[in-house]
Amino acid sequence: MRWVGWSIRLGLACCGCALAVFALWQSVRAAQPADTATPVQAGKVVYEQRCAYCHGASGRGDGQVAANLQPRPLDFTAGKFKLRTTETGSLPTDDDLTRTILEGMPGTAMPAWRGRLRPDDVRNVVIYLKSFSPRFASETPQPIVAPMRSAEPAAAGTPGQTASRAAQSVTRGQATYGRLGCAACHGADGRGTDAVASGLTDDWNRPIEASDLTEPWTFRGGPSARDIYLRLRAGMSGTPMPSFASAASEDELWDLAWYVESLARAPIWRMTAAEIAAFYGQQGQAWREEPVRRGRDLAVTLSCAECHSPVREDGSRIEELHLAGGMRFRLNPFGDFVSANLTSDTDTGLGAVTDEQVKRAVTRGIRRDGSRMLPYAMPWAAYASLTQDDQRALVAYLRTLRPIANRIPSPARPALPAYLWGKFRMLVLGIDPPASVFPGNAGLRP
Amino acid sequence: MRARSLGSRIGRALKWAVFLLAVLALGGLLAFLYVVPPFDATSPEEYARLESTAAPQVNQIRDPAARLIAERGRYLMITSGCAGCHITPGPRGPAYDMYLAGGTKLVHGQAGTSVSRNLTPDAETGLGKWTDEEIKLVLRSGIRPDGRQIFHRFMPWPSTSRWSDEDRHAVVTYLRTLKVIRHRIPDPSREATIEDEGAAEAFYLHNYGARD
Repeated sequence: MRWVGWSIRLGLACCGCALAVFALWQSVRAAQPADTATPVQAGKVVYEQRCAYCHGASGRGDGQVAANLQPRPLDFTAGKFKLRTTETGSLPTDDDLTRTILEGMPGTAMPAWRGRLRPDDVRNVVIYLKSFSPRFASETPQPIVAPMRSAEPAAAGTPGQTASRAAQSVTRGQATYGRLGCAACHGADGRGTDAVASGLTDDWNRPIEASDLTEPWTFRGGPSARDIYLRLRAGMSGTPMPSFASAASEDELWDLAWYVESLARAPIWRMTAAEIAAFYGQQGQAWREEPVRRGRDLAVTLSCAECHSPVREDGSRIEELHLAGGMRFRLNPFGDFVSANLTSDTDTGLGAVTDEQVKRAVTRGIRRDGSRMLPYAMPWAAYASLTQDDQRALVAYLRTLRPIANRIPSPARPALPAYLWGKFRMLVLGIDPPASVFPGNAGLRP
Repeated sequence: MRARSLGSRIGRALKWAVFLLAVLALGGLLAFLYVVPPFDATSPEEYARLESTAAPQVNQIRDPAARLIAERGRYLMITSGCAGCHITPGPRGPAYDMYLAGGTKLVHGQAGTSVSRNLTPDAETGLGKWTDEEIKLVLRSGIRPDGRQIFHRFMPWPSTSRWSDEDRHAVVTYLRTLKVIRHRIPDPSREATIEDEGAAEAFYLHNYGARD
């Protein structure tokens, strides 16, 4: 029976060889992209892993999550980039793109990728995303050759002289702020107070807000005077922020940058208790004065659209039905519920519903016909803690929504036996059936 | 003859009694099933009270500045409905004493399975070892410390991305003051279980975490 032992050994050896070959093949295959792929191919791999979720596989700023984000992810195909060291209308340099990727964009969902992507990956992604716009093939963007001043407006002299020169520079900058009409969008105080320009939109016709110049930690391209100078000098393509290169001299722009830098306030993590109390008080006052603006932010942070905007199967929003309801929930064993249309359509939305009825639904879970909602999926018990001001603001914002006709069906209760069987499973057998969400719009559009 | 007929009469009566009891018991069970859990018997105000008292007060914070900031964080956490997923599900609705200890399972057809995380400051099973910046990055961009992107239908991070940096700071300050609860959350896996045909996603209100 010696042949049995030999054949087992032979079989094992064969298996071992096969495994070794397989492992070798796997390692060769895994190593291949790094060795032989072109930078564009390597960049595409990284882009699709890390960038496409927001910016879209086609680079059009239409990724799965794009419709949920405000500001929206950039559309690379348009060739319009906010953060540049190049003249207005130009493309950014490779260094500009690299800097934006590494540092991220404060005040948006774009994170700083420094330390999260390898330098090679960043370089390759820059090459790949330039392939989205044909302009990169024909143009060679040049950085602005301008006197890039050092960190101080007047470096020479005693500390006292420097301080007084800096103060003079800031004063001149304030005059330039007035002359160039910055207050029209940013307000006389830099916080948007009394700004005359309302309803600003970007080049994609989407609402956009002027930066609050007192919060430098939200400046997209960084908080330093040099960063501010570059935005003034080069403009921010795709937004209403123009270049002031032809409207003001180099010195004036630098003074203005110093002035804007001087507007900075302390963030709450550097404030004393008294300052925080005063700040929250002012903030509350500003929200009372502009309820629609506050309500617009609340509608996002309270996640209204998570349920009141229907989604496709991949989880992306159907944008033309924003807040028009129609998402179908199966809350076993209670039946099928479809989220309400929150737009101001008279027939199918909140057009004919009073403010008090809206507040009652949001904070107490009572529908307009007086029936009660389940304690989930609509988190009315959580919204019950909203302050009166915030409730008013939310309603004020909902009133501004453009009417979208989308008739929402009434809740569909299951047949009595099915309902009792579901309850039996839930309460006696302890099997909790899942609450399911269905893709698509369950409403009826005319 | 008389005795037998009496016995059979008693027997028949007993049979009827048993039958009647069975009918009553079944009817009772069905009626019980029909009305329980009695959502309508609990007032909206009581639900709101349970929801807000589950979030601990911030009175114990000594530093007045931190207390003010944490108070704002508490307001944001309650009103934004974070507890909807992050409170541990109990056998009859949310376990209000397990505030933000996680354990709700969410399934999305394409993205797989996720279990809501333990947000209490427990070092091993919660956010105890996370830095402020790591928590803020999840709230701003949905990126976990290990680099994984959180799917927005699981955790609506685009909503928390719209909070100001100062509000995110307030939320982190508040999270640090929560009661430490040891509640291990299993790592998300790709397996998905959606019972309803045609559903894209589902949430399961069981406690999928483990108390150890």
